[in-house]
Amino acid sequence: MKKDLLLKDGNPQQGNPLGGTLGESLRSQGVSRRSFMKFCATTASMMALPPSMIPMIANALENARRPSVIWLSFQECTGCTESLTRAHTSTVESLIFDAISLDYHHTLQAASGHAAEAAREVAMEENFGNYLLVVDGSIPLDNPGYSTIAGISNLDMLTESAKGAAAIVAVGTCATYGGIPHANPNPTGAVSVKDIIKDKPIINVPGCPPIPVVITGVLAHYLTFGAIPELDHIGRPKVFYGQSIHDRCYRRPFYDKGQFAETFDDEGAKKGWCLYKLGCKGPTTYNACATTKWNNGTSFPIESGHPCIGCSEPDFWDGGGFYKALSLPTEDLSKTAVYAAAGAAAAGVAVSALNRGKKNASNKIHIKTTIDDLTQE
Amino acid sequence: MSASIEKGINAFKRQVDSSVAAFFSSCVHCGLCSEACLFYTETGDPKRTPINKTEPLRRIWKSEFTLMGRLGKMVGLTKKVDDALLEEWQELVYDSCTLCGRCSMVCPVGNDIALMIRKTREGMAAAGQAPEGLIGATNRSVTIGSPMGVRWPALRAQIKHVEEDTGLKIPVDVEDVEYMLLLSSMEIMNFPEFIEAVAKIFAKAGVTWTISSEAFEATNSGIQIGVSDIAAELVQRIVDVADKLRVKTVISPECGHAYMAIRWDGPNLVGKPFNFKVRHILEVLDELRKDGRLKLSGKESQKLTYHDPCQISRRGGVIDEPRKLIDMFAEDFVEMPDGGKMNWCCGAGGGVSANERADEIRLKVFDRKKAQLEEIRPDGIISACSNCRIHLEDGLEEHNMDIPLLSLTETIAEHLAED
Repeated sequence: MKKDLLLKDGNPQQGNPLGGTLGESLRSQGVSRRSFMKFCATTASMMALPPSMIPMIANALENARRPSVIWLSFQECTGCTESLTRAHTSTVESLIFDAISLDYHHTLQAASGHAAEAAREVAMEENFGNYLLVVDGSIPLDNPGYSTIAGISNLDMLTESAKGAAAIVAVGTCATYGGIPHANPNPTGAVSVKDIIKDKPIINVPGCPPIPVVITGVLAHYLTFGAIPELDHIGRPKVFYGQSIHDRCYRRPFYDKGQFAETFDDEGAKKGWCLYKLGCKGPTTYNACATTKWNNGTSFPIESGHPCIGCSEPDFWDGGGFYKALSLPTEDLSKTAVYAAAGAAAAGVAVSALNRGKKNASNKIHIKTTIDDLTQE
Repeated sequence: MSASIEKGINAFKRQVDSSVAAFFSSCVHCGLCSEACLFYTETGDPKRTPINKTEPLRRIWKSEFTLMGRLGKMVGLTKKVDDALLEEWQELVYDSCTLCGRCSMVCPVGNDIALMIRKTREGMAAAGQAPEGLIGATNRSVTIGSPMGVRWPALRAQIKHVEEDTGLKIPVDVEDVEYMLLLSSMEIMNFPEFIEAVAKIFAKAGVTWTISSEAFEATNSGIQIGVSDIAAELVQRIVDVADKLRVKTVISPECGHAYMAIRWDGPNLVGKPFNFKVRHILEVLDELRKDGRLKLSGKESQKLTYHDPCQISRRGGVIDEPRKLIDMFAEDFVEMPDGGKMNWCCGAGGGVSANERADEIRLKVFDRKKAQLEEIRPDGIISACSNCRIHLEDGLEEHNMDIPLLSLTETIAEHLAED
């Protein structure tokens, strides 16, 4: 019943999703063994696993029971879902989608109102302790009324749904680090998933939005190994977020040679020189854009002539202007400086009044110097 | 009221403004400016470190405008500015600085040290501590109209010669023309070929221009000695005539400080924007080149180099223009080491050449230019400042080096294409 809530290519999905294994499900949908093995090999290479792992992935995936996935969307723009759906049929991404049981997702589910919420409750109950919880969007803490779903505040829905989750995948920079809602001055008091949930494994998949294959790659890893991948210091899978855009950028040789585009229409820009001076955040941004690329490996922003804006890093929105080079200060005045300046200003006003007085006095008694003044001894 | 220490101290106080306060407070005493200064590198004497030359101004800023300085003054700890100090500093502020601005370029905290020395001269002059030679030049500028004492009849005679030689009419006091040409006394007396060159080039290009019989002098001794009141008076003379003749553009000739005096300091000195544009002769020539109105023929095969006058290149920004112009006739052009905005000064600008007392040191610091010239060994040196030209000739003669000095404008005139 629950699967009927989901649409796939406009048709209700068939079969009992919770009953069969992934292998059965894939074969019933006409996925050949060959393309399945190809997917396993791609997944292995994508995650830098040795080729000997391919059969293991295949075995694990084939025999894995299709896990239930609940997808919650809070303060977000649906860009992350848009990114995910850019994964076309017959690609790695759609395989994964056929391989999981997506039981609740605002945007993709057909059901609405009570039926939708009922689907979530049933999935949570039936798979308690085993389902994967995916979250995109940040959670407002200032006032629960800022963002509610079916009358339930985001905070309540998250804490309730997290209780029975095996693991949580925070997708997009809003869910991972607060993202744009969290940007200064953060009017809703937005926070990330990890700020609220402390007792569950959380995988952060940041990006605004994240790369589709990175989202599905993380899910595949979880399905294969039943455990979360190795994470970096801010909770990101190292396989995708282990290297900076800058280190893998094809324009890096120009940076090393000191050849920079100074404006978007100068010779340097036309010649494809480094965009560092135009504000590229590549050196401080860790993501897979430069290697995995976007739109089925077509290109990534720098390849299209635009500097990286650093969207997979915490607080990227507050990192100064997108077009300001990294070496420039990000803020005109830090808070400390404002306080210091306020204190100093009071003293300064007094001193400068005194100094101005002194200067005015010196101007007043100044008599125009003429050549006679110089020549008289 | 003649010059006195009281007047000098008051003048120092008038010079302290937000930029001076910021500069002195941000100086980190790194000493990098010393290595940028010709007068330090060629003498090795640390007292000639650029920032040290501003010491009198610094003491006034500290004792009058800072809290610690004022406290120090109360208990007698703050060092005083008196006649003895200023007398000692005369040699540093006037003889050992050409206001070339190289120090300002290297200062890691962005202090415009050359500007600070220029401001220090204001206090020095008001206190009666300016060199005799500069006082004399300034006196002649104010009373006669030219630091070298050139009056209109002398220029009229030179113009007559040029007209006879070229058969061209030199326009004088003509109204509503495009350009008004200023001249430096040096050009009038030593290089009248410059007037001839401009006349030929402008005739070919079909440019309307004039020379004023009332205000032809481009140089400004007030800037060099450091008396803004006098500098403003000298600028005002040009402004009045340019307005009267309703010219569109005033041309500063091949002279360094004249350009900065009229173009950059000018409007600030007279306290209002000009009704006309100010351009250096090289900028005007490069405009003509771009418009296709300057056509040359024949190439110079000898190896030529260009000496960037500090006030025109470094302080004035006219760097690419001369190179594009030289490219029109030079086959073998070689850049001076550090050429362009970091070019080493010849050693005689900023009033140094008008100050006989500095003759010895200005020839001593020529060693830098000498070493550079020995490195590139040119057959000829082009420049765009008569003062650089005279001093380079002096220095070369002193060392028995035989390299001719050329004016860029004059060399272009020699290569004008015949119709």
